[in-house]
Amino acid sequence: MAVTVRFVSVFRDLGVSRRLFVVEAETLEKTIDELEVQIPGLKEKLVDSHGRLHPAYQVIHTKGNRQGLCSKLDCPIADGDEIVITPLISGG
Amino acid sequence: MYGFQGTMLIVDLTQGKVLTEKLDERFTRNHIGGVGFGIRLLYDRLEPGVDPLSPENMLVFASGPLSALGFMGSTGMSIVSKSPLTKLIGDSDLRGSFGRDLKSCGYDALIVTGSAKSPVYLELTDGSVQIKDAGDLWGKTTAEVQSILSRRNEKGFRILSIGPAGEKLVKYACISGDVRFFAGRLGMGAVMGAKNLKAIVMKGEKETPIADPQAMKNLMKEIHYEVLHDGSCDTLSKYGTWNNTGPSNLKGTLPTKNFQRTTFDEIDQIDGDAMLSRISAGDRTCPGCPIGCRRVVKSEQPYRISPQYGGPQYETVAALGPTVLLADAVAIAKANELCNLYGLDTISTGVTIAFAMECSEKGVLTDKDLGMHLKWGDPEGILQIIRMIAFREGAGDVLAEGVKRASENIGRGSEEWAMHVKGLEIPMHDPRGKKGIALAYATAIKGADHESAMHDDVFERENALPELGYVKPMGRKEYQGKPLLVKKTQDLWGILSDALPICKFPMAPPRPLKPNRLVSALNFVTGWDVSLEEFLRVGERIFNLGRLFNVREGADRTLDMLPNRFSEPTPGGASAGETITKENLERMLDEYYDHRGWSKDGVPTEETLKRLELKAP
Repeated sequence: MAVTVRFVSVFRDLGVSRRLFVVEAETLEKTIDELEVQIPGLKEKLVDSHGRLHPAYQVIHTKGNRQGLCSKLDCPIADGDEIVITPLISGG
Repeated sequence: MYGFQGTMLIVDLTQGKVLTEKLDERFTRNHIGGVGFGIRLLYDRLEPGVDPLSPENMLVFASGPLSALGFMGSTGMSIVSKSPLTKLIGDSDLRGSFGRDLKSCGYDALIVTGSAKSPVYLELTDGSVQIKDAGDLWGKTTAEVQSILSRRNEKGFRILSIGPAGEKLVKYACISGDVRFFAGRLGMGAVMGAKNLKAIVMKGEKETPIADPQAMKNLMKEIHYEVLHDGSCDTLSKYGTWNNTGPSNLKGTLPTKNFQRTTFDEIDQIDGDAMLSRISAGDRTCPGCPIGCRRVVKSEQPYRISPQYGGPQYETVAALGPTVLLADAVAIAKANELCNLYGLDTISTGVTIAFAMECSEKGVLTDKDLGMHLKWGDPEGILQIIRMIAFREGAGDVLAEGVKRASENIGRGSEEWAMHVKGLEIPMHDPRGKKGIALAYATAIKGADHESAMHDDVFERENALPELGYVKPMGRKEYQGKPLLVKKTQDLWGILSDALPICKFPMAPPRPLKPNRLVSALNFVTGWDVSLEEFLRVGERIFNLGRLFNVREGADRTLDMLPNRFSEPTPGGASAGETITKENLERMLDEYYDHRGWSKDGVPTEETLKRLELKAP
């Protein structure tokens, strides 16, 4: 169940820029848990105090040619999927 | 009157006369301030059909009730005039401390009318208003004016100025604030130039009374705490607005090659991480804002770039980068610096250069016509054409008119790639991947404006803005529900933020400046008992006043359109295949006009005018 994860314009202070992470996970929550091992401090930023995905970020989920958003932690992830974590943009 | 000085300053440059006028509480409560004051004053006092560059046009600099506070960008002001670019209502917001400085001189608004016989500048203090000779400043860049006037005056004077582009009446010339903040859009600098007004310097010490300072202090403390601790502003603090570049590319909404594409192959050279690694020299903030979104840049090679003039924000990076296929962070920053020194709006400049490049590529403009070989992505060509535009040299003269007039002048089908709405060049969010923004561009009172309505992206999650009824997610590419969303957020985010004024960034969900808190802030400062409903109605009133101004100038539904290019599908990226066809836009317009209470032609109905306490033109 290899899932690739990239970070775009977020968490530079955690050293994730331009790096590709590979984790084994079936849900977004598991993906974040696995990433936390490689990137200590990530989960605290990405999951809010209510245990939900922090609303300031978007998780873009690419499955084959289809792209969608993972907005909940129980979002299913499959082998070969790509996850990109970005800030929620609101105009520049 | 709490929150206000209660006085407007009127300077007639033709007569060399200075007057003051009292503000009454009904006027202030009905329009709040900033853009609200400006649009009302122009609507009431400007004859229809006036040439924007004639002495008859008015240039209004207006603060709002929150301007006296150091609170999330509230110290800024709105600059409002009839735009030389669109010949419709024009406003441009200026951050920094200039609204507060105007209030400290004793005025809520400054109205400049007429035109001086020779170049002048205004000096405002809380004891005097002087019209001074600016002969030695004429022809100088914004930085040179800043340097001369800083030396001439005691410390603490704030300086608004225009560069050579404003003097040359470039239709998208901007106004500089201390060469660090810019009122970029809609040619306010050209209006200033037409009045022979090179600069305004201000310094005062008058206090503005606050109705409940302790309550306001507590609210500011609460919001500052959330900004610093709730994580909603973290990426804006760390990346500035450069946090938009990579995600826009990923979503396929990054204007590239004059909107022919929506993703940029060399994004890694110019995204937020690239800019931070290569040219960032720190950040800068508006008074009282803990976010610090403004980036300062510095470079020695291959171009020397001074950190004194700030740095390019997202819109500028995209307009002078992917839009013209430039993938060099240092060259983009240099192009930004030149625009700042010459006094050009960077968005209009980038889109106009892209238009010229497409003309060149298609053989519509030859190298001889242009006086140079202008090719996509060439930094030297881009820097050269910026100077030519600013000084109206050669082909720069026709490009200085903006893409609408330039394409009408050049002809040969070039109207098809002149990317504007109502004459205002389109900013850096391709609307095919954001259907609400498409409608917002089409209907904004000042033309294609990226700050006129909240972006679709923020409504892709639950509970985005419950105060306005937005609880369920809405996809950014969907049409359903967008007309009402655009109407509501135009009134709130587009208008009321510029009336208070307050920065739009901390207002964008999920950030902490919620509508109810804005109402509280307004009431704490003014002592009013405004409800959320009344607050939103003021936004609606100001928006409709702007529409009435435009209707009086001849605008109707036919101007609420988008360029044909957006009816072509985007070729790739995450918005691949997305379009905005004329039929889809017309359907959204029908629904939007219904929500606005406008006729099918886009004119506010009698019933709407009555509800908003407005009169037909």
